[in-house]
Amino acid sequence: MPAVQETIDQVALIDVDQYKYGFETKIEMDKAPKGLSEEIIRFISNKKQEPEWMLEWRLDAYRRWLTLEEPTWARVDYPKIDFNDLYYYAAPKGQTGPKSLDEVDPELLRVYEKLGIPLREQEMLAGVKTSKIAVDAVFDSVSVVTTFKEELKKAGVIFMSISEAIREYPDLVKKYLGSVVPTTDNFYATLNSAVFTDGSFVFVPKGVRCPMELSTYFRINEKGTGQFERTLIIAEEGAYVSYLEGCTAPQRDENQLHAAVVELVALDDAEIKYSTVQNWYPGDKEGKGGIYNFVTKRGDCRGNRSKISWTQVETGSAITWKYPSCILRGDDSRGEFYSIAVSNGYQQIDSGTKMIHLGKNTSSRIVSKGIAAGFSQNTYRGQVSTHRKASNARNFTQCDSLLIGGKCGAHTVPYIEAKNSTAQFEHEATTSKISEDQLFYCLQRGIPEEAAIALIVNGFVKEVIQELPMEFAVEAQKLIGISLEGSVG
Amino acid sequence: MNIQTAITMTTAETALVDAYTTQLGDLPGDGAVLSARDALLNALKTEGLPTRRIESWHYTDLRALLRSVPAFDSTAFAEGVDPLVEDSTVLRIINGKASVSGVPDGIHVRRYGDSLVDGVAAADLVERGSDDAIGRINGAFVRDGFEIEIPEDTELARPLELQLVQSAGQSHSRLPVTFGANSKAVVIERHLSTNDAPSLVSIVSDLIVDDGADITWIILQQQGASDNHLGQINFDLGADAKLKLFVINAGGKLVRQEVHGVTTGEDSDFQMRGINLLGGDSHTDVTFTLGHDVPNTTSIEVIRNVLFDRAKGVFQGQIRVAPDAQKTDARMACNTLLLSDDADFSAKPELEIFADDVQCGHGATVIDLNPTHLYYLQARGIPEGKARGMLVNAFVDEIVEELEDEALIEHLETIIAAWLDKHA
Repeated sequence: MPAVQETIDQVALIDVDQYKYGFETKIEMDKAPKGLSEEIIRFISNKKQEPEWMLEWRLDAYRRWLTLEEPTWARVDYPKIDFNDLYYYAAPKGQTGPKSLDEVDPELLRVYEKLGIPLREQEMLAGVKTSKIAVDAVFDSVSVVTTFKEELKKAGVIFMSISEAIREYPDLVKKYLGSVVPTTDNFYATLNSAVFTDGSFVFVPKGVRCPMELSTYFRINEKGTGQFERTLIIAEEGAYVSYLEGCTAPQRDENQLHAAVVELVALDDAEIKYSTVQNWYPGDKEGKGGIYNFVTKRGDCRGNRSKISWTQVETGSAITWKYPSCILRGDDSRGEFYSIAVSNGYQQIDSGTKMIHLGKNTSSRIVSKGIAAGFSQNTYRGQVSTHRKASNARNFTQCDSLLIGGKCGAHTVPYIEAKNSTAQFEHEATTSKISEDQLFYCLQRGIPEEAAIALIVNGFVKEVIQELPMEFAVEAQKLIGISLEGSVG
Repeated sequence: MNIQTAITMTTAETALVDAYTTQLGDLPGDGAVLSARDALLNALKTEGLPTRRIESWHYTDLRALLRSVPAFDSTAFAEGVDPLVEDSTVLRIINGKASVSGVPDGIHVRRYGDSLVDGVAAADLVERGSDDAIGRINGAFVRDGFEIEIPEDTELARPLELQLVQSAGQSHSRLPVTFGANSKAVVIERHLSTNDAPSLVSIVSDLIVDDGADITWIILQQQGASDNHLGQINFDLGADAKLKLFVINAGGKLVRQEVHGVTTGEDSDFQMRGINLLGGDSHTDVTFTLGHDVPNTTSIEVIRNVLFDRAKGVFQGQIRVAPDAQKTDARMACNTLLLSDDADFSAKPELEIFADDVQCGHGATVIDLNPTHLYYLQARGIPEGKARGMLVNAFVDEIVEELEDEALIEHLETIIAAWLDKHA
């Protein structure tokens, strides 16, 4: 189909301003002065009542960061960021850790209500029991509330904000923090290590299957702030946990920076399933504003027979720079990456994964679906490699791109590196438009064109949607619909 | 990334710079040619050879891999060999010196050295981009080559073999070739070495394939186990033009073969087939870029790699589809048989698409021989060694068999079988 005229018209009229999470909440904030220096880092560490070693860790990272250069290899284009023109710490005032939801600013609760995130446990309990989800809500720089803490504790699961964990479980944090993404890793990860303000900490002890889905909602609210969250998830031998993060931000003219680090550690026989629905503000239809999303996510399958699975639905952000990866260190470990990246308007996405096969008999699977519309650029960048001693490594990669309209771009940049004759790597990539035959088939059966295109797009991404926890699959599907509204509806 | 500050030169870089100083008086051309050479060498001097930080050299860190460069050897002697296919027209470049004789009517051939002397070649001596190390080295040192023109509506009845024989030292040659409208030809670019002495050979071929021309170009690289080979072939395809490019690497120690093409005429078709037979301690890199710049063009690339010993192989392939180049159909496949645990292979097949009504795809596989295939043959009484040989042979012969000329197929198959016999 040479993009039907109506589709072209609609793309021309495309309106990413439909972003429904674009509201801003007036909440009194406690902010550090603008800029980045050792003083600011001391200020953050002090605010968080961190132990000395944590401060040193941060300062080390900061000093390292000063020597690093911003990476330029990704296919994204943006004006230079002035890292000294940002607030590195912003917290809702009076929030030194509420004991219960009643102590939380009602305005804040309304924000989460607007976002459709039920924080009140009773509400959750009133719902269907099987869909119980524990939530950690992070607002700008701090975690405001974590639900179901007690119930999780009974199972032995620790789920709390990382700031709390640093205070309450310093040994655990010290052991694992930076062990997957070291402070020296890359420009943004190093910056994050210096200034991270909050995030979630999950520890699932040996043999425990986490009794409910864990979830964190990140919200950037304050103007001129950067959000730097740090998430650390550890699944001990035989443990299982499924974790979901969601992200939103208000609509603003300015670009805001989000540089998170996520570290996952899976020991023998453990499994971590990490799902993301990323819906940061993408900017308006002229490409003004939106979040710069520079994220380092990495999972370490440290134990034998461990498994880490990343699923991501990326619809937001002006710029996305994100490569959730798996280090397959344990023998027989498995890594998975399922991704849907939808770009519209002037969004730029450069995302993919790395599967590093180090152990024996490791396997990985990558399924990436990119949909580019409007004037957006959508790049898949991935690496699959085997170590010389990693015998019997298996990888299957499939990345498909769908282009809607003639002004966008879809790119595929895979790096495939085999160093062992027993490796078996298969990679395939396709780029096309919506098939004329499929569309004709639907139209023949009286399905209107817009609905038909939506149907085909849904079919295109189905493989990935299926990997999401059910509650979020529905949300994700809706989100894709909204993101492409006006171009495919 | 450009390195702004002065670099510490490696042995190979120093050798190249020194060679330029000593050779300068002997290199043909002055005036504009000389300033073009100076500019290229200067770029090489200030930026050095590319490292893995330069994206297009990510897997071939030339600065680290090119350990030494043999000096120019004016006393080196070599003789040409018989052409691959009987009755071919042969043009030879021996140790970097071209000689024109026995050119049939209908083909215009001029020594490139003459174009350097009279200055017309000055405009060619430019780099493709700041990562064009081959263009820089070749442009600075180029001594000879052939300027070939096949006039329009001319069909060459016999293959044209361009035979480049090297015994020692360095040679840097260029082959600007114009295929007139509706011409038809088979050209074999053959690189040989006569002994084990190390050499550095660079070759840049610039092909213009005019409207309606139908061309088969075969690069057969069989240099010695201590030779460095830097090859680059650039082409421009006119409307309805067809170019079939075969790249066969069966030799060399450090080999980089670049293929850069654009389709500038509608309904043009590009086909590339590659066979890389890699053994010993060799490092072989085939880097390919193709720009589909106009609507309705097609391309298919199939690359087969076989690796033994400690060989390292690289394939980088990039297909770009320009905005408005609608109805492009581009496919690329890179299949690798990794037959040794000490060998390694890296592939980077890339798509860069700016038009929506296109069909583009690429596939890449890296595997060992299929044990069920092996079992099938062994169950029929074929010993394992032989069965493996048959399967490897079948894997690459399939590619050669796409050629039209039976005699050519047979000769290439013999070369492949001989190589496999020696290494398997």
